[in-house]
This record gives sequence, C-alpha cells and structure tokens, in this order.
Amino acid sequence: MAMQQSFRKNRKVAVLGFCILLFQLTESRSQSPSADPMREDSLAEMVVTATRSERQLGALPMPVSVISKKQIQAMGSLRLNDVLAEQTGLFMVNDHGNGVQVQGFNPDYTLILVDGEPLIGRTAGTLELSRISVGNIKQIEIVKGPSSSLYGSEALAGVINIITENPNRTFAEGNLRYGGNQTLDVAGMAGIKNKKLGVNVYANRYSSAGYDFSPETIGNTVSPFQNITLQPRLSYQFSERTRLAVSSRFFSENQENAFGVTENAQVRLVEGPGKVQDVSYNSTLSHTVNSYLKIHARLYHTRYHTSTSLNYQPENQVYDQTFFRQNFTRPELLTEWTLSEKNLLTLGTGHIAEAVEATRYEQKQTFQTNYLFFQYEWFPTRSVHVIAGGRYDAHSAYRNQFSPKLSASWQVTEKFMLRGSAGVGFKAPDFRQLYLNFNNAVAGYSVFGALELAPNLERMQAAEQILDVLLDPSTFGALRPESSRAFNVGFQFTPAATFKTTFNAFRNDVQDLIETQAVARKTNGQSVFSYLNISEVFTQGAELESSNRWEFGKSTLTLSVGYQYLEAKDKAVVRRLNAGNVFRRDPETLVTERVPKASYGGLMGRSKHSANARLFYTGPNGISASLRGIYRGRYGFGDRNSNDILDADNEYVTGYMVWNVAAGRHWKQFSVQAGVDNLFNFTNAAYIPAQPGRLGWLRISASLEKKRASELN
Amino acid sequence: MKKRSYILVAALVTGLMACDNTESVEKEPVKAETVRDLPADPITGVDATGRPASAGKYTYFSFKNGIVPAADSASNRWDLAFKATTILVNGGTSGPGNAGAVLLDGIFDEISTLPATAPIRQDQGADLAIPTGSGKGWYSYNPANNLIVPIAGKVLIVKTTEGNYAKVEILSYYKGAPATVNTATDEARYYTFRYVLQPDGTSNFQ
Repeated sequence: MAMQQSFRKNRKVAVLGFCILLFQLTESRSQSPSADPMREDSLAEMVVTATRSERQLGALPMPVSVISKKQIQAMGSLRLNDVLAEQTGLFMVNDHGNGVQVQGFNPDYTLILVDGEPLIGRTAGTLELSRISVGNIKQIEIVKGPSSSLYGSEALAGVINIITENPNRTFAEGNLRYGGNQTLDVAGMAGIKNKKLGVNVYANRYSSAGYDFSPETIGNTVSPFQNITLQPRLSYQFSERTRLAVSSRFFSENQENAFGVTENAQVRLVEGPGKVQDVSYNSTLSHTVNSYLKIHARLYHTRYHTSTSLNYQPENQVYDQTFFRQNFTRPELLTEWTLSEKNLLTLGTGHIAEAVEATRYEQKQTFQTNYLFFQYEWFPTRSVHVIAGGRYDAHSAYRNQFSPKLSASWQVTEKFMLRGSAGVGFKAPDFRQLYLNFNNAVAGYSVFGALELAPNLERMQAAEQILDVLLDPSTFGALRPESSRAFNVGFQFTPAATFKTTFNAFRNDVQDLIETQAVARKTNGQSVFSYLNISEVFTQGAELESSNRWEFGKSTLTLSVGYQYLEAKDKAVVRRLNAGNVFRRDPETLVTERVPKASYGGLMGRSKHSANARLFYTGPNGISASLRGIYRGRYGFGDRNSNDILDADNEYVTGYMVWNVAAGRHWKQFSVQAGVDNLFNFTNAAYIPAQPGRLGWLRISASLEKKRASELN
Repeated sequence: MKKRSYILVAALVTGLMACDNTESVEKEPVKAETVRDLPADPITGVDATGRPASAGKYTYFSFKNGIVPAADSASNRWDLAFKATTILVNGGTSGPGNAGAVLLDGIFDEISTLPATAPIRQDQGADLAIPTGSGKGWYSYNPANNLIVPIAGKVLIVKTTEGNYAKVEILSYYKGAPATVNTATDEARYYTFRYVLQPDGTSNFQ
C-alpha cells in the first residue's frame, strides 16, 4: 500500500489517460461474468501469435483460432492438455507425456509458447502439456501451418501461444477444485495496479492420486503426483512511450514412481521419486520512438531440470539414477516500422544459446543460433491483406535455414473472406537426436544420437554386447533438419452476427523426418536405437468449424461443431503400393496376398475423421452450463500382418467419443461449478491408458475487485 | 525337442522319397511342403546375469535330407543353416558347397521361375546371400514389443548343393506359428516355412 501511495504522488495526466483506457478495457471484459463464452471467440478479438504484433483475429490471412478465458472457465479445465483435447483438429498423443498432434504431426513439431517465449524440456520430443496450469490464462492462440518464418525451428505444424493475464487491475481471487482420483487444484491470483506499476502473482498447487487400470501388476497407470506453479508479472510504465514488463514462471513437480522389474523370473519392486523443475525469466522493454517506429528489446532465460532416483525395495539398493538439465537463453530485438498506412514492416534479430547436460549425454552439449527475420504487411486495398515474411537461422551445428512464408486474404464481400498461405517450416535435429547416450537399465535397450552411434556401437561390439548389426551406421550420412512445404487455403463466412463458419484445407509435404530405428540387436535380446531421416511424408486434410448462437430472453445458447478430415501417409509406402510391392500375411492362415492401394491407412496414430460438438448455455441469475462431445475416429496402432504398415481393420484402435459436462452459478463475488469429465466412463486401458475414467468435480471460487472509480481518485 | 526333430526329419525324408519316385516322362506339378518349428539356436535359459542364453549353434538343413547333424557342417550335405535370424547358405564363405540364394519380392504361388534380373548369390563374409537386419532381409523387428516378423511377400529362391532350385517362404519365427505371438510366453527361434523343390535342375516352379 505504501508503495502504491508513493506512486500516486507522481500522477500525470498522460498516465491518467492510460488508466482510463485500462478501466474501459477491464470494464468491458468483466462486464458480465455470465456472458456467452463462445462470443469471446469473435472476429474482432486481438491476437499476437500470427504476426508478432496485435492484429484482429478476423483479418488474418492464416488459420488462427483463439480459446478465451471464459471458454476455459466454462469447461472447468485445469491444465493445457484438457483444453486442447477439445479443439477441432487437435489430438492428445501420449508418448512420454501428453503432447498435441496438429495437422497430423507429432507433438515435436508444434512450438509451445508462454507469452511469446518458448517452453523447453521435451521428453522423446513431447512437451508435457499438463505442466501448464490454465488458471491465469487470458487466452490461448493457435496458429496452424508453419510459422518458422517468425519463430524458427519447431514451428513446423503450428504454434500454440499461451497468453497470461496482464497486470492491469487491482484484484484478488481464489479457486478450489476437488474431484475424482483425489484431484485437488488450489489456485490464487492477486494484482495491484496503479498509474505506473502493475504487479500480479499467480500461484497454483495441483495434485492427484493417479489411477490404475491394472491392479494385478505393480505400479499405477498414472502415479500420484503434486506440482506447484508460481507466476509473478510486473509492468512499469516509465512514460507514455516506454514500458517495461518483467515476468517469471516457476514450476515444480514430484511424482512417486513404483513399478515391477522382472529379473531372473522374479518380479522386484522398484520405487522412487521423479522431479521436474522448470523456471523462466522474461523481460521486455518497449519504446515508441515516433509514430513510425516501435522497438521491443526482449531477454528470455529458461531452465528445465529433471531428476529421477529409483531404488529396489525393500532392499533400498540403487536401481537407476538420472538427471537432465537444459537451459535456453535468448536476447531478441524486434522493431515495428509503420512505413505508411498501407505498409507495415517488422524486423527482428536474435541469438539463442542452448545447453544440455544429462545422464544420457556424454558431456555438456551446446548449441548457438543467430537469426534474422522480416515481415512485410501490405494493405493494397481495404479488402486485401498480404503478409510476406522470412527468417534466416544460422546454426552452430547444422546447415543454415531460410524459411519464407507468404499469406494473403481477400474480403470478397462483407460476409465472405478468402485466405491462403504458403510457407516453409523446419525443425532442426535436437540434442537428443544428435547426442543422446542412453542405456535403459530397466528394459535393457540403448539409444544413441546420430553423432554418438558409431563409436558406441564399436565399443559395444568390442565388449561383445552386440548380437548383430541391423543397419550399418556408415551408410547413414549426416542427420539433416526436417523440413516441410505447406499450403493452407480457406474461407470465413459470417452471414449473420450469430453465425460463423470457417474452413481450411491444408497440405504439408515433409522431407527428412527423423525417426528412431533399431540399428542393432544386443545379446540381451534388446535393441540399439538411433535416429534416421525417414524421408517424405505428407499430411493433408480439411477442417470445418461452425457456430451458431440463439438468444431468448436472458438466455443464450451457442452450438459449435467442428470436423477434421486427415490423411497422413508415407510417400515411400505409397510408391511401393502403386508398384504392387506391398504384401500382407494373414496370421491365421499364413496366406500372403498383395495389399490393395485402398487398404493403406497411412501413418499410425492419425484419425481420418474427428469431430466435436459443444453446447454452451448462459441463463439468468448467473447460471451457465456446457456439454461437449469429442469424437475421435479410429486410428492405427501397430502392424499385425507382417508388413509394417497400417492396412487391416485389426490394426486400428476403435474410434471413441468422450462427453464432458459442467454447470455452475455465479454470484457477485462467488461462484460454484460442478462437472463430470468423461460422463459415460469411456476407457481403453490397453490402447489409451492416458484417458482416465469418469471423474466428477466441484469447484468454488471467490473474487474481489477494486472499484475502478477509486483508482481515479 | 530332440524327438520332435526326428519326427520332422522322418516326415521330410518320406515326403522327399515320394517325390524322387516320380520318374515318369510327363511332368507332375511340383508340390509345396511345409517345415514346422525348425529350431534355430533356441533360448535354453538364462545365464548368471539373467540374460537369455543359448547354445550358439546353427541348425543345418537340406531340402533333400531335412535336418543334418552339425558334424556334417563341413560337407555338401546341407543347403541352409539357421541360427536365430541369421540364415547361411552352403556356399561362398559359409560352406564348402555351391549353394546360393536370392531374396525376391512377390507372392509365393505366383513366382514361377527365377528371374534373370535376380542372380543367385553366395555368402561373402558379413555380406550374406540372405541379408540380415530388420527390414533388409526376410524379417522385420518391432522394438516396441520385441517381435520378429517374417515380412509378407518375401520369397527366397535357393540353389541347393545338388544344383536344384527351391522357392521358400518363411511363415513364422515362433514355435507353433501362433497367430498372435506373445513374446513373453511364445518361444522364438523356431522357423516355420513352406517350400517347393524342383528336382529337375530347372527353376520352373509351375
């Protein structure tokens, strides 16, 4: 309070104006907590991810979608993976964590940002999305298609940017949610805002007892865990033209591991904690030089640490101890030039220093990247918007990469807009793919990065640990970055204020996809794996989203439906099929036949059809409810007829549907919400262990907000 | 296990003798035979460190005589030798004979003759006539479940030490050729394969 008063002394007219502006913004936002959550996703909404500066969602020439805070609240979601799982065209992929599949790409190819800065710490390419609490999120922006022209490596399938609440009001709020599997989420957020200084802090604790689909075996399907998140943000307005924003994020998780290991035909119990810690610091200084030029200087540092200590129990002997430490530092300078009303230019440059140190790496490994990017926006007429951009990445370890992108939109009529974009995306081989040096003591297999393979294989051969070499490393050549060429074409149709339809068709031609391959077999019956460029895959499909709103009296009902059609195929397999060179053997009759072209189901794990339907209701007296159904069509799981491709019905995981429901009531300062996730208790323990059964939950929250008028006193 | 082998050999010999008896001028169509559960250095237990152990010995096979004792390994009396996923031919660096093989893509029944574009090869050190390695030869290995699966549509043409041709399709690597293999319980390193031997010295399999 003392601090607040000292700032009050330095009141200036300009700052007052700023506060009034903020007041207006905040007022319009907090106007009616019971307002229709879908209305937030309006075309006038501002997004930053697509161009790196604020633009109206409806005017952008590339496929962008926004999930608003109100929508997240209406769903009652806690973690990022819960929110993304309900979006059209996005799927949760459970491979060393919950990652997201975008346009048919594995989680490795989607960049995850928090306030524009990348999250690091991927396990086998997957960034665990449940690390991110959604309690302090203002909105989630999703850009599909490559954005390497702005963001460089990893932004190949898309970019998901989590925008957290700005410190722009004085308030305090608390949330408590308890539900099935003893899942407890406690969150609090408070902020102070006066003329120059804005501070807010978000704190969250999330814990669960996990669940077990196979009680007959040792260990849980999901082990008990608890984590905390702390996110302070500060902004300081030096003057009308100069603003400093500083933020930090601290995340720490503990999970209790327990599983059985079979040794000499005896099952032994192994237990121990696994820890994950992820810390980041971000500061941005923005200065408006004049009406033509704005400068943003950013400095970002983040660290990701994990450690696992496993012991045999009850003997308490060491079974395995591992650690992983990664850090990433990036200074960046971004300039926005308003050349004229019709010509905007963004220029940026930066440097990335990355390092990784782990049990699984021989020594500390480092990467350097220098980059330059530009983006030119042109509005030749009132109805046409063209964006041309490109980024040049000079890597310390790979060949340099240029990623151009061109997009354009045309507002054909007031109600109909066409848009299209073409771009290049890339993903550089990561540390793991180059330097991993890992022997799994549990299962007995080994994984080596491309640069570690040859010497380690020689060493293991000398030690007589190798039964036979399946693929000769000397024939591999250097690992290349993965790259794609992508096209997105679509339209947006808004015949009425209450109805909106968007459509986007996409095609991604991908080269040099890196995949793990067994390269040798060990004498213990396990394998040695490494990373290889598996060339040429394509994904293509189309996405349709439509929503309609009905209003009657004080009630609003919004129905939105989404559908995605997807094909993702290996081009080499398609060529072999065309040549009639793919066969399959019936495992019962042992009869071999030629695989017809039409039987090829493409890459494993991709659903050809997926859809969702979501109903949101807001009524009088602060009542709100939502019912969401998410359908995922069948997708390939593994080969069963001796040809390593997806071509038979029994190689698919059956399609399924999950229903989530929530309802609540809001009073002035309190709200109560209850819901059931997975209403009809769909489970598939064998193929979808990450999907828990039916979970009920109850949430209460309270909030206090300082009256805006008092701030102007 | 021994007993099974004897039965196998007996069955083979009977089968082959039946073929040998056809000395008529009119050509009978060659017949497909199936060899079941040919052991290829099966796992015998675990060693002191808990790893699976085996004898490390090849099983020698002749299309004419069936399984041949290991004592005859330095002779012309075998055509193919099996140890785990490795298959040797009695020719080149692997044996004194003049046997060889070549791996073709296609359907067993449709392959009527040895194409001129696919010459018979012999083992040259690590470069085997029947290549080893997942996806490179006759099998693929799935690291997710440790399964060895004979790739569908791979047909071997073998030239025997006697100069005859046989076409071979490997059907299973597990004992009893189970339709669904459980790597924890099903025994690996037992070959089931079918073959057609053309005893007239040509590669006409019609």
